[in-house]
Amino acid sequence: MDLDRFKECSAAFGAERRRWPPREHALYDRFALTPEGTAILADAERTDLFLDALEPAESDPRRVRDIAAIVRPAWQRLAKPAAALAASALLGFALGYMQALSASDAGMASGLLLGPQSLQEFGL
Amino acid sequence: MKPPPDDALDVELMRAVGRQDRHAFARLVERHYGWALGFTDRMLGTRHEAEDMVQTAFLRVWQGAGRWEPHAKFTTWLYRVLYNLCVDRLRARQTASGEPLGDALVERLADEAPTGEERIASLQRGARVRAALDQLPARQRAALVLCYYEERSQAEAAALLGVSAGALESLLSRGRATLKKWLRDELQ
Repeated sequence: MDLDRFKECSAAFGAERRRWPPREHALYDRFALTPEGTAILADAERTDLFLDALEPAESDPRRVRDIAAIVRPAWQRLAKPAAALAASALLGFALGYMQALSASDAGMASGLLLGPQSLQEFGL
Repeated sequence: MKPPPDDALDVELMRAVGRQDRHAFARLVERHYGWALGFTDRMLGTRHEAEDMVQTAFLRVWQGAGRWEPHAKFTTWLYRVLYNLCVDRLRARQTASGEPLGDALVERLADEAPTGEERIASLQRGARVRAALDQLPARQRAALVLCYYEERSQAEAAALLGVSAGALESLLSRGRATLKKWLRDELQ
């Protein structure tokens, strides 16, 4: 019987016509507004409403960029961290050098203040 | 979110990806990441797992693009890759724990909720649906996600799951019947 088929379709596809297979749209139109059809659809709609409470996940643009970057060659992926490491090594070396230089200047200055014995240390 | 409609562009991009064109790959990821994540998230119920699965699927796109032939739409192919990955993950999860996530998931998602009562309530409602979907066998769940959320045609969903139209209808009916019972039990 057609009403049985209507019930089967609502149990599988829910209360909304657009979710039914196109071949069953005529069946939907025939029964949807009848008292039996309305009751059947109301029952299916409860499950639809329940399912609708699950919102779609929002995608994170950073994640999209990360995935696109995965296939870049290793040297490209490592270029940024390697450059950062090299820059910090260079900076560390420069700072250390400057510190050593100023320590050496300080030693020379104190030598000048302390007298001839200290001047000998500088070969003067 | 639904897949973008321009199939011809996907074919063009996939051919370029097959030639190891990284820009084409980035474009493909941008076009399809959103719906792929939506589908996978609803299949698995956990965001971080879904993100990992989508990443794995796109890596397979990159690795398999050279052999890819446009017999079916790119989106159909990607759905199938994602579906297979999800089924494997669901099976592994079931083997590991012996039981679905259930209430623990509801609690965890509620804990993760940002401030705002309405947002919290919305997340809790969503978490209930995730917990309910978690009770379903993988194929019933996939049938519901594809037909209800993704609004794929019955023919496409049936093809993806490798079943007939009648079997798809049966999967949907059984899935919805389980959800209805779950909902009724919860209200009592």
